[in-house]
Amino acid sequence: MTIPQAEPLPTGPTLDARSAGQAAHRPWYRDALFMTGAIIVGISLFLAAFGESIAPYDPQIPVGPPSTPPSLEYWFGTDSSGLDVFSRTISAPRTDVTLAVSAAALSAVIGTMIGLIAGFYRGPFSAFIMRISDVLQAFPVFILAMALVALSGRNLTNLIFALTFLYTPIFIRLTRTEVLTQRERSYVEAARALGNPGWRVATRHVLPNSLTPSLVQLSVTVGFGILLTAGLSFVGAGVRPPTPEWGLMIANEAPKLVLGEWWPSIFPGIAVSLAVLGFAALSNAIERRVAS
Amino acid sequence: MLPYIAKRAGIGLLQAIGITVVVFFVIRALPADPVARLVGFNASPETYAQAQKSLGLDRSVWEQFTSYISSLLRGDLGTSWVTGSSVVSEIRTTLPVTLQLITLSFLVALAISLPIGIATARRPGGKLDKTVFGYGLFAGAQPEFWWGLMFIFIFYFTLGWAPAPLGEYSPNISEPAEITGMSLIDSLITLNFPAFGDALWHLWLPVMTLTLIVSGPIIKMSRQSMSRVLGSDFLLYQQASGLPSKQIARSTIRASLPPVVTLAGILFGFLLGGAVLIEQVFSFSGLGSYSVRAVLNLDYPAIQGTVLIITLASLIVYLALDLLIAAIDPRVKAQ
Repeated sequence: MTIPQAEPLPTGPTLDARSAGQAAHRPWYRDALFMTGAIIVGISLFLAAFGESIAPYDPQIPVGPPSTPPSLEYWFGTDSSGLDVFSRTISAPRTDVTLAVSAAALSAVIGTMIGLIAGFYRGPFSAFIMRISDVLQAFPVFILAMALVALSGRNLTNLIFALTFLYTPIFIRLTRTEVLTQRERSYVEAARALGNPGWRVATRHVLPNSLTPSLVQLSVTVGFGILLTAGLSFVGAGVRPPTPEWGLMIANEAPKLVLGEWWPSIFPGIAVSLAVLGFAALSNAIERRVAS
Repeated sequence: MLPYIAKRAGIGLLQAIGITVVVFFVIRALPADPVARLVGFNASPETYAQAQKSLGLDRSVWEQFTSYISSLLRGDLGTSWVTGSSVVSEIRTTLPVTLQLITLSFLVALAISLPIGIATARRPGGKLDKTVFGYGLFAGAQPEFWWGLMFIFIFYFTLGWAPAPLGEYSPNISEPAEITGMSLIDSLITLNFPAFGDALWHLWLPVMTLTLIVSGPIIKMSRQSMSRVLGSDFLLYQQASGLPSKQIARSTIRASLPPVVTLAGILFGFLLGGAVLIEQVFSFSGLGSYSVRAVLNLDYPAIQGTVLIITLASLIVYLALDLLIAAIDPRVKAQ
């Protein structure tokens, strides 16, 4: 479940701040949190690109007797249709990770642009944008995502659009807040005094200095995207079978769990859990390093 | 204080209206065909037209909207296209199930998280602190439906400590009359103690799953809030004035509560529409399961109804929170 993030409190020695001090003096390869995140994210991206090619079996056609427990032949066993669970688990990032990365990147780009405009040019337009993003944020996220996908057709493109739609307001808010503080800085005044037109000050000076919060948010948003994709597929509002996808694999084999067949649903779950944790850890580690 | 509350309520209401309008038009703008879903894709054109007419979908979107709004003003959320019963009555039976589930999870989560958060704030950098940091990072985003399944495997299948995940009561229990719709309260009111025990027996696993997920951020927030209070001047002043330590401890905890309460409220509002997957896993017929059915069946009145009710419910929670915080923290009232 994607828990909404709380606003950080203004002061106080938090663990983050303290460890940031320590971690900042450490080279990045000795920062455990950063390395954990980076390795998991690296593997996820690698599997998204090559998972299906290095899988021992075709993830979409039955390759053995159904419901075989894990063995040397089938590392993670086979599911109730005889599909190889290991091949499917490592092929799933093609769907889950690709989708989450695309949606996070799209919403970061769109959100940052809108946030820049809304923060830099204050006026009725920017107030309007903020009200809209308020309304979007007040939505029950999961139900909205479900409705968007189910009503526009269950395919990859629509999933990406739905997720982008949901995550854009976060980036609008983050960028706008940062732009609002940046635009009061003296370098902005200096840039204006040199005769730069407003749009140039906004894009060349304010924008690069306002990107940090969005960049930190990017990785954790990918994690949320993976989680939401898996959740949607789990209730039947995501990708269609027999696409190898973690949530779908868990949903299909969940009824077998109470009969003692744990392997077809446990491995994709561990994969989701680790992937989401990895992207969150990377975000957290980057945030620490940036803060110090 | 009162103008502030009124302003918040006003903004919230505007948001609810905005959401109502957006939902109405967005689901009609998307390329789904609820009529075909209802009568089947092979239906004759006459059947199709008849169904379309009975759903009111033959009218223009604008006519549909005005009739929707006018019945909304009379407190009528329409009739479900799939079950044929009124959406209001269906929400009335499903909402309490969700409310009970998440309220219990919150009480448990708060009871566990607050002391832990406070303990870690008192000894920053300690072992507990580091563990809690890792846990907060971990629990903030996890596939709770999968954790639910794992718990079912461990506690039902392997250990037998929990019932089969098939709803709120065992089939052989005489269910109490539905008064509030919450299994624990209904069975208590009707003095049906076997049903009460059975309801509790069916609740503990889903509650534990939700607790596992929501306590992460709550611990993190209570730790942050507590350490901020511990470093504040008023505490130093109280110590310097020689107040008894019991009184200092009390005001410390009181001062650290508001951010935690705010977060808990936000999470609560979020879970109203976010407990969907847990309800599915444990076959609870709550609002979440209802919304899944509504969406997958393209049941527009039910979709509109659930979204509106969830938004209004979170609005009420937020308002209650503002009042609660003002009661805890006199500084808020002064502003």
